[in-house]
Amino acid sequence: MRESISIWFFSGMLFLVYGVIITAEGIRELSHAPAHPPVLFSLHAPIWWGAAMGVAGLVYTIHFWPRRHR
Amino acid sequence: MQPATLLAAFTALPTKTQLVHLNAVDIAVIAIYFAIVIYIGFYLKGSAKTGEEFFMAGREMTAWIAGLSFVSANLGSLELMGWAGSAYQYGILAAHWYWIGAIPAMLFLGIIMMPFYYISKVNSVPGYLNLRYGPATRALSGISFAFMTVLMSGINMYAMALVMKVVLGWDLNFSIWVSSATVALYVILGGLRSAIFNEVLQFLLIWIGALLVPILGLVEVGGWTNLKHQIVHNLGNAQYVHLWSGLGHFSTNPMGVNWFGIVFGLGFVVSFGYWTTDFLVVQRVLSAHNLRAARMAPIIGAGFKMMVPFIVILPGLLALSVLPFHLVGESVAVATGQHSYNEVLPLMLVRYLGPGLLGLGVTALIAGFMSGMAGNVSAFSTVWTYDIYGAFFNKKASDEHYVSMGRWSMFVGVLISVGTAYLVQHAASIMDYVQALFSFFIAPLFGTVILGMLWKRATKAGGFWGLLAGTCTAIGLWEWVRTDPSALRYVALSPDAKAMAQDIYRALWSWLVCVIVTVVVSYLTAPKPDAELADLVYGITPLPEEHDEHWYQSPMLWAGLIAIVFVILNVIFW
Repeated sequence: MRESISIWFFSGMLFLVYGVIITAEGIRELSHAPAHPPVLFSLHAPIWWGAAMGVAGLVYTIHFWPRRHR
Repeated sequence: MQPATLLAAFTALPTKTQLVHLNAVDIAVIAIYFAIVIYIGFYLKGSAKTGEEFFMAGREMTAWIAGLSFVSANLGSLELMGWAGSAYQYGILAAHWYWIGAIPAMLFLGIIMMPFYYISKVNSVPGYLNLRYGPATRALSGISFAFMTVLMSGINMYAMALVMKVVLGWDLNFSIWVSSATVALYVILGGLRSAIFNEVLQFLLIWIGALLVPILGLVEVGGWTNLKHQIVHNLGNAQYVHLWSGLGHFSTNPMGVNWFGIVFGLGFVVSFGYWTTDFLVVQRVLSAHNLRAARMAPIIGAGFKMMVPFIVILPGLLALSVLPFHLVGESVAVATGQHSYNEVLPLMLVRYLGPGLLGLGVTALIAGFMSGMAGNVSAFSTVWTYDIYGAFFNKKASDEHYVSMGRWSMFVGVLISVGTAYLVQHAASIMDYVQALFSFFIAPLFGTVILGMLWKRATKAGGFWGLLAGTCTAIGLWEWVRTDPSALRYVALSPDAKAMAQDIYRALWSWLVCVIVTVVVSYLTAPKPDAELADLVYGITPLPEEHDEHWYQSPMLWAGLIAIVFVILNVIFW
C-alpha cells in the first residue's frame, strides 16, 4: 500500500499558498500603500489575482487530495 | 532570440542600479518555490529505481503531463526574455517562432512520427538511429547531442545568473550554485519523473507569474486596436503589427527575412528539426503511458505553445506603446547606460507588479531557467548512459548499474554546466561557437530521421554520410559568413538579408544536402531487408489500431482543431 501524490495536488497546494500570501499582501496595501506603487495600482490586482489563484488552488488541492491505493 | 545575443547584452551592460528591489513577501514566494521543488525530488526518489523508471519516468505519464512537460522543457527564462526583447525590436514577426515555427511540427510529431518512436520502444532519438542506420550514426548523433546539451545548459545558466545580477542585484556565484544545486538534487533523486513533475509546476508558474503583464498592459493602452494604432503612430511603420504582409521581400520588414525563408526554413526545417528530433523535448513524449497519450502529448503541447505569445510577444509590443523611454541595442546601451531590448520583460514586470506579485514574476523567470536546465541534464544523462556508455563502453551491465551511471552522469553534467558557465564568464566568445555548434546538428538530423521513418530504401551508409555531409555544410556556411559577412547574400539569396535569415537559410541548405547525399548514397548501397525495418519505417510497420472511447478523444480531431486555430490566428494578424 503506497500513498501516491498527483502533480496536480502539488500544483494546487502551491497555488493555494501563493493565493493566500498575495491576497493578504493586497489587502494590507489597502491601508499601507507602497512607496512606489506600480501602474494601475488602483485596480488592486494582488487581491483579485491572488483570490483567483487561491480558489483554483483550493479546488485542485481537494480534488487531488492523496488517497490510499491498495 | 539566441542566448548568445542575450548574454552579450547583459555582459556588456555597464554597472547600473538594479531594476528590482524585492521585499520579504517576494522572498517568501521564491523560497516556497525552492522548497516545493526539492520536496518533489525527495518524494519521487522511491519511484526511480529501475532504468525504465529513472530514464523514462516508467512510461507512466498521462498525455496532459507529458504535453505540458514537452512545452515547458523549451520554455526557459532566456526564451521568455529573449523573445519579448525580439518582439520589441521586430514587432509581431517574432510570433512566427511560436506559430509556424512550432505548431505544424508539433502536430506532425504527434500524428506521423510518434508511432515509430513509441512502437520501437527506444530510449532516445540516437537509439532510434541505431536501429534504423546502425551504431556509427548513433555515435555521431549521440556524442554531438550529449556534449552540446550540457554546454548549452552551462551557457544558459551563466546568462540567467547575469540576468539575476542586473535585475535583482544577486551575486553571480550565488545564482549559479543555488540554482544548479537545486536542479541537480531533484533530478538525481527522482530522475525524469521528477524533472517532468517540476516542469509541469514550472509551466503553471510561468503562466500565473507573467499573465498579469499583458492583461494590465491591455487595460492601460485601451485594448488591442488602440495598441496597434499607438505602435504605428510611435514607430511610423505598420509592419510591426503584421505577421505576413511585409514578408514579400527581405527589405520590407524589420527582421530582414522573406516568406520563403519563414515557411520553408523556419516552418519546415528548423522547426521540424527541433520539435521532432531534439531529444530534449522528444524524451518528454516518450514517457507517455500508451501510444494514444504519446500522440496526444505534442498536440496538447501545441495548443499551449500557440498561447505563449500572449505572455511573451504581447509584453514586448506593449512596451513599444507604454514605456516612457526607448530601449536600445546592446552597443548603444553600453555607451549610454540605457536599458536594452532584452530587459523589456523585467521592466514590464516592475511596471505592473507590486510586492508579492513581483516575487511571483521573478519566480516565473527562475522556474523557466530551472525547467530548461533539468531538461538538458536529464536528456544528457539518458543519451550518455544508453547511447554512449552502454553502447560503446559497457554493453552488458545490469539495470541497477545503468541507473547508478545515470545519476552520476547527471551530477557530472551539472558540474560541466557550472564549469562552462565560469568558462564563458572569462571568454564570452566561446558561447557564440557553442551556440552555433548546437544548431549545426539539428537540421540535418531531421533529414536523417524523416528519411529513415518514411523511406525504406534509405540505407545505413546513406544515413551516416547524409548526416555528416549536412552537418559539414552547416559548419562550412557558418564559417563562410563569419569570415566574409558579405557572403550572407549568397547563403540567404539576397543582399538585404539580415542575421535571422542566415540561421534559417543555413538550416535549409544543410537539410537539403543531407537529404540529397542520403538518397544518392542509399541508391549506391544495398538496402536493408524489410524484416529488419519492422517497427521502424512507414509502410512496413503495422500501426496498432486505436479505439477511442469517445469521439472527442481522437488525436486527429484535436490536431485538426489546433490546425484551424493556427490558420485563423495567422489570418487575423496577417
